[in-house]
Amino acid sequence: MSDYMKSIVFALVLCLVCSVLLTSASVGLRPYQQRNLKVDRQKNILLAVGLIRAGKTYSPERITQLYDDHIRCLWISPAGNLMTPSAATKDALHVYLNITTEQTIKNYIIPINTRGLWGRIKGYLALEKDGETVAGFTVYKHSETPGLGGEIEKQWFQENFKGKKIVNQENEFVSVQIAKGKVEDNISKEKREHYVDGISGATLTGKYLSRGLESVLKTYEPVSVQFRQNRLMRLPTDKSGCEPENRPATQKDETS
Amino acid sequence: MTLTRTETYKVFIDAVWDNNPINIQMLGICSALAVTVQLKTAIVMGLAMTFVVSLSNLFVSLLRNTIPRNIRIIVELAIISSLVILCDEFLRAFMYDISKQLSVFVGLIITNCIVLGRAESFAMGNRPYISFIDGLGNGCGYASVLIIVAAIRELLGSGSLVGVKMVPEAFYAAGYEDMGFMLVAPAAFIIIGLLVWLQKTIKKDS
Repeated sequence: MSDYMKSIVFALVLCLVCSVLLTSASVGLRPYQQRNLKVDRQKNILLAVGLIRAGKTYSPERITQLYDDHIRCLWISPAGNLMTPSAATKDALHVYLNITTEQTIKNYIIPINTRGLWGRIKGYLALEKDGETVAGFTVYKHSETPGLGGEIEKQWFQENFKGKKIVNQENEFVSVQIAKGKVEDNISKEKREHYVDGISGATLTGKYLSRGLESVLKTYEPVSVQFRQNRLMRLPTDKSGCEPENRPATQKDETS
Repeated sequence: MTLTRTETYKVFIDAVWDNNPINIQMLGICSALAVTVQLKTAIVMGLAMTFVVSLSNLFVSLLRNTIPRNIRIIVELAIISSLVILCDEFLRAFMYDISKQLSVFVGLIITNCIVLGRAESFAMGNRPYISFIDGLGNGCGYASVLIIVAAIRELLGSGSLVGVKMVPEAFYAAGYEDMGFMLVAPAAFIIIGLLVWLQKTIKKDS
């Protein structure tokens, strides 16, 4: 066998061995990874509404229990009507509710999946039941540069969202934006309640996230309007009917 | 034969001390800056690195007589990347939070010059056992520097070690403040610089 052939055969065998090894590891470990992702998603929803605190560690069982006790989710049609999970159409809006022990609604939580500078930014935005005040914001997945745009996953950045308004004094939708630099220095006084502090060195990430939040919030306006008019106070009876993993196959996958 | 005379000991100690990959050879500094804000991530990163560099040395050495010369770098890289991906998958399955904090840096072990450097310069010319020891030594040398740097940074920057509060509340009440500078990458640069200085001084004296 010539040297040339030998190289090719060696490379092929090596590739085969490596790929078999990696495929089996990936397939074998997937259930564990999926479970981690699920708990992580639940943790982030809880974080967005302040049911757990960042920086503290919670066991996966505790998180799942808190989630089951406090979080409900539902489908709402683009027109703003409640839908049963089985009737949910492709354009139905997915909303999570944070309920108190007395079974009343405290906040509603909107999944965020938007474009960042280097990849998708995924997270949750919680709004108070008044339909206009931000209650919390978390990011659970992003590909922004660590230390620059990656700061969006940090507490200091997310804390800033609390209490911001998505509608102005005239009750018009304005969304919430990321300022360039500090809000105090760059934004006029009457607009400050719609802006959060930007990240230095990450202007583009902020720009994309602002635009993304605006479009998501705009899509969810029908839901927010319902809350503003106090019309969405009925709790879904079904406990887990609309978890992303139970979605009909036609739905586009939010967790991927 | 005493322990210090064995080849195993010599190869190991040479990698950890006399030719420490970070302090003496100045390799792998990038990841050393990035993952040393907390001790926990530094320990995991050190373990992952030790796992990859020792096993890649072992496999490359086992195959050293069969690997065709003209594609040897590709072969070495294929072995290294497979090990790194394996490592990453395991972290994501069993240490999810830490793997999230380490983010891309586990994956970047592939491009860490220490691993390819040891495979190319040592494992290609030595027996499997001694190559494995060399990898182990380099991994430990890398990990030890990471752990020292991370311990200093976490203690001074966050007042804790492995997430456990070390600086008593009374200190804060008396006006003590955590050093914010320790949390940014340049701090690691300075600490590594000081470590290099310290090690060179000790070596010169002995």
